Amino acid sequence: MSTINVGDGDDARQGLVTLVITVVELLIDALEREAVRRMESGNLSDEEIDRLGQQLATIEAEIEQLKADEGIEDGVDDLRGDLDGLVSDAIEQLDTDSTPRHAPGYSVFGGENS
Amino acid sequence: MTTDEQPRDAPTNATDAPDIETGRYLYCIVQANEDATLETTGIDGESVSVVTEDGIGAVVHDCDSLYDSADLTQIQHWLVRHQTVVDAAGQAFGTPVPFQFDTILRGDDTRLREWLREESETLRPVLSELADHWEYRIEVVEFDAPDDRTLVEQDDRLAELDEQIADASEGQAFLLEKQFEQRLTELRTARRETMAAELEADLAETVREVHTLERSPASDIADVARAEGETGAEGGDDAETLCRLTVLAHEDDEDAVGSILDGVAAEDGLEVRFTGPWPPYTFAPELGTDPDGQNGDPTGVGTDMGPL
Repeated sequence: MSTINVGDGDDARQGLVTLVITVVELLIDALEREAVRRMESGNLSDEEIDRLGQQLATIEAEIEQLKADEGIEDGVDDLRGDLDGLVSDAIEQLDTDSTPRHAPGYSVFGGENS
Repeated sequence: MTTDEQPRDAPTNATDAPDIETGRYLYCIVQANEDATLETTGIDGESVSVVTEDGIGAVVHDCDSLYDSADLTQIQHWLVRHQTVVDAAGQAFGTPVPFQFDTILRGDDTRLREWLREESETLRPVLSELADHWEYRIEVVEFDAPDDRTLVEQDDRLAELDEQIADASEGQAFLLEKQFEQRLTELRTARRETMAAELEADLAETVREVHTLERSPASDIADVARAEGETGAEGGDDAETLCRLTVLAHEDDEDAVGSILDGVAAEDGLEVRFTGPWPPYTFAPELGTDPDGQNGDPTGVGTDMGPL
């Protein structure tokens, strides 16, 4: 995956909303992990933990509602899957370093022209 | 939302399509004597020939352009044909070193012989090393993975979180549930990885090489077939692929691999899909470099087009 195609015309709006919601979801995931970490650290009072959890729960519910309204649940899931693949590829390339993978497609070699 | 690799579907008058005029479409390299022939039909009904040079044969057909189409079905037919020719070559001449689909050498048979001569130092050892070795693909699928309740019973940490959630305030319960989910994911991943690692280690004792593949193939021509024909032929929603492996094994060891896999398949809820022998698509080394300086690797290295 080298490009993200948000589509054109009528599709463009939905494509863009899908992209924005996906990014927001990733952000919320990060916030939730951080919240769990702070709860674990023992530096928050019970009251603070409760408030933090409720806020995050509210945001998550809002996002779910928004996805349902826009009919983009599947689109967001697919894009997250693609992004996971992108990250795995990037890690793999870091691992092996070396030359970029041969892109799918044709190979023509030999010959005098060009 | 779609993702695109590269504009392969562009019409052939696009400026970046290489000019070929005279070329040889390469299927694979085999060990063959001068009078070798292969009775089979190539891509688009082309007649296939074996061009040999000093014991090394290239299975080819004459071509003057790339195989490029926006029609997936068309490409699928080409791919299947490509693979059929490579399989036939394997049966006739022993393990072939396959090329990736749409690999073309510019020039005529004389140029091809010259290329074989130039590359013979690389090709000869590769052919003899791979002789009588084939690629086998293995996929382990689990039905009825243990449900959350079962895992809670087995894991103290999960049980502890479960209890805490019951007593927590609403907000705290939300965060604890997140922790609970994280722990579940960790456990499932660890369980899967342990099983895969054990199988890999068992296989490694018998076969020459083991490779781990992505659990779900990025693109699989079988998907195309499935999308067009019967749907839902395999796997339900509750079937999960635990691992996909590909191994390079001597043909005499095929039964030994089979009995290792029988052991896995005997476990409750596990199914093993074992296919082969395939030409060693994954294990063919990289050959040659492109004088044009672009696509440097004309072999089928790393392509996922083996099993249909």
